[in-house]
Amino acid sequence: MSAPAASVTLSGPQLSQRELVRATAERRIGRRRVRSRLATAACAVTVCLSLAPLVSLIAYIIDRGARTLSLGFLVHTPKPIFVPGNGIGNAIVGTLIIVGLAMAMAVPVGLAASLFVMEGPRRLSGTIRFAADVLSGTPSIAIGVFAYAVIVLTIGYSGLAGSFALAVLMLPIMVRADEEAMAAVPAELWEAGLALGTRRGRIVRSVVLRSALPGIVTGNLLAMARAIGETAPLIFTIFGSQFYALRPTAPMSAMPLVIYTDATEPFKSAQATAWGTALVLLVLVVVVSVAARAVAAVMTRKAR
Amino acid sequence: MTTLSAPPAVSSLAVPGVGEALARQRTKRRGRLYALIRWAGAALFVAVFLALLVTLLQQAAPALGHMGLSILWRGWNPQKNELGAGVFIVGTLLTTALALLLAVPVGVGAAAMFAELAPRWIAGPLTAMVEFLAAIPSVVVGLWGLIVLTPLFARDVEPFLKTVPGLDAAFHGEPLGSSILLAGVVLAIMILPTVVALSRVAMTGVALADREAGMALAATRWQVVRKVVIPGAGRGIRAAVTLAMGRAMGEAIAVAFVIGNGSGLPHSLLSPGASLGSAIVSSFSEALPGSLLKSGVVALVLVLLAISVAVNVGGQILMRTRRPAVPPRGPADGTGTPPTLAPDPGLVLVEMQP
Repeated sequence: MSAPAASVTLSGPQLSQRELVRATAERRIGRRRVRSRLATAACAVTVCLSLAPLVSLIAYIIDRGARTLSLGFLVHTPKPIFVPGNGIGNAIVGTLIIVGLAMAMAVPVGLAASLFVMEGPRRLSGTIRFAADVLSGTPSIAIGVFAYAVIVLTIGYSGLAGSFALAVLMLPIMVRADEEAMAAVPAELWEAGLALGTRRGRIVRSVVLRSALPGIVTGNLLAMARAIGETAPLIFTIFGSQFYALRPTAPMSAMPLVIYTDATEPFKSAQATAWGTALVLLVLVVVVSVAARAVAAVMTRKAR
Repeated sequence: MTTLSAPPAVSSLAVPGVGEALARQRTKRRGRLYALIRWAGAALFVAVFLALLVTLLQQAAPALGHMGLSILWRGWNPQKNELGAGVFIVGTLLTTALALLLAVPVGVGAAAMFAELAPRWIAGPLTAMVEFLAAIPSVVVGLWGLIVLTPLFARDVEPFLKTVPGLDAAFHGEPLGSSILLAGVVLAIMILPTVVALSRVAMTGVALADREAGMALAATRWQVVRKVVIPGAGRGIRAAVTLAMGRAMGEAIAVAFVIGNGSGLPHSLLSPGASLGSAIVSSFSEALPGSLLKSGVVALVLVLLAISVAVNVGGQILMRTRRPAVPPRGPADGTGTPPTLAPDPGLVLVEMQP
């Protein structure tokens, strides 16, 4: 008669062997569980360590920034130290003009270049992709020095030089984002267009660009969010200004530059200006990056 | 479909063939326009790229000619026309190494927590928070480092480190706050989001079957993370570390705020020093246009460019080949889901940091 359960029929030595294995496994699993808990706790500590600087940073920017912030601060121009009524109105306008001009330069070139990467002769488009890799790995300070050599040495310190530097900074990001967005368009849409005998340019305009538009807008706005906060391309190019300077060929002020110069001043009031500007700058960056995602979400929903 | 034939074309349409010819002509012209746009964009882009290299080389030429290859190891002493990058290269390597030493274990641990160990409802918002750190402009981090961290390091952190036995060699000298150490810490904070975000993505990409195989062997959760997930994500984590390293090397503004701007060779982690980036920031504006010194600073830019581009391109190559070139398709009968490769916006934000 065969045994219903193997364990019942085990005889002496086998039984003790199995008991031994079970006992060892039980002891081991206990130790392994403890070790797993400890390691998880260690990982939780690393999470706290990553969040601590962020929390401190945000707390300082909001706390110190809010002490400086007022309506006057947002519209006035800078005053000498110890004169009340200091403001960064011209720096806010300067940032908007400089970044706006940079977008006007970089967006079309980035889009056209990404069309080339997507469609162009494969060998050449590989070259462009490599150039984009190198350019996006270029430190922003190097781009600032480049803009100095090209623009400042010819037309002088100007908002335009800063815009050029930011445009160069954004270009590789845009080329890659545009290309990625267009590569996500299903091949069937291309094929449908080709089957109708449509020109490639027409397919790109009416089909590919249209369905890739949310991704393109998001990518370009994220590049813009990055450019808004960049300081290194500006410190050698725009020079700074104490007044509302609206002409791009003249020296201009910008928020990152104000933070850069005021942070190193030994006066408390200058540091207060730096904190206030940091808060405004951060809000602007956050608004643009949130808008980037919101635009994509809204556009995608509309397309469906 | 569209109003290809404007009013005058109505009459010509009456004659067979004429409207068609007009349309064909227009199509051809527009096709050429499209090609023109593409080629112009590509040409402009390449022109900017080449101009960057040529301009920097041209501006740096006098100093490079003056120093020769010795620029890589000589010190910086403008009064004696000695324009070497050696000290700054050491400073860059030291701060970057310190930043990686601090940020990589913390970042990979946090990524493991977010990807594997923590419940999803808490991992999601925390991941978003850490990645938000990437959006904070570097000058703002520098401001915080200068005004908040420098006094803290001078008063508490550095004196404490000096009391730790066995570390005298690394931490001798006056605790001044601004130091190689503080620059490394600030850089670590700045590259942390890159490490966390890219490692997390790499870890979530590890196949579920691999994890299940681990669990079937009665591995604990941590054992699965340690033996299956982290090795499986190895390539992605290496890419994350490489990109973070490139970013740390190229950062100039925040480092210039906290490194102390010494021009000698640092003799301990507490001594003030300079990295390539911070040296460029502090010397460029002071040098007169056309002087040998100006050219020397541009030569520093070239050295920095060479180092960080090499690192960054390496990281990007690691990133790229990690993804399959073609998304997996469903069965040939067409029932499979169409490939959608919508980029994760959070990842884009992090990935585009230099």
